[in-house]
Amino acid sequence: MDFCEITTEPIDITGVARRVVPPECGATVTLDGYARKFTKSKESGEVRETEYLVYEAYEQMALKEMRKLVDQAKEQFEISSVGLVHRTGRLAIGETSVVISVAAPHRKAAFAACEWLILELKRTVPIWKKEVYADGEKWIEGDAEQRP
Amino acid sequence: MSITILFFGATADATGNRKIILNEKGCSNAGDLVEYLRQTYPKLRLLRLLFSINQKHANGDEAVNDRDEIAIFTAVSGG
Repeated sequence: MDFCEITTEPIDITGVARRVVPPECGATVTLDGYARKFTKSKESGEVRETEYLVYEAYEQMALKEMRKLVDQAKEQFEISSVGLVHRTGRLAIGETSVVISVAAPHRKAAFAACEWLILELKRTVPIWKKEVYADGEKWIEGDAEQRP
Repeated sequence: MSITILFFGATADATGNRKIILNEKGCSNAGDLVEYLRQTYPKLRLLRLLFSINQKHANGDEAVNDRDEIAIFTAVSGG
């Protein structure tokens, strides 16, 4: 029932959400994370305008880490199933980069697990984002305090 | 000793490589190996490096063994 995937194709958000609808559940919470145009620099506070993003994954390890997160989420929260899909390659502004769907008997646990999953994914799953601007590009470094 | 080293994102740009095979005998642990790579590819010195051994996050004390797969990267930024 659970699934973790990395794809270069556009993600069908509803498709992901509807793959996790077990009969004992009453709610699925789905996060649609997508490419942002305006990013404020952590260092300078300057707002930069992104033209497009490129995501790169260490695919085999990323899938292992994603599966680990799903297992941990199911231990910690009262949830039934999880779908985790990340896109790689070039993404236009507004295109979906990550979808997390969590189905649970009751919505509260699904919201909590979904938030926990995105935080952990951004901390541990080996995927990197490059922002491409009109006048340059930059690989984004995750928060160092959050290193695994 | 044959170790596969993988680079991603900023480290791939800094080294101009995605994958190299090292036959280095002087590196007994992962920290030594990263230091060796910093000397070989000076641009890596500008980055805060993290790494994994055989697809598990590692911290530097781990022994490096023949046929290990080691990835060198900066703090992850997916999502």
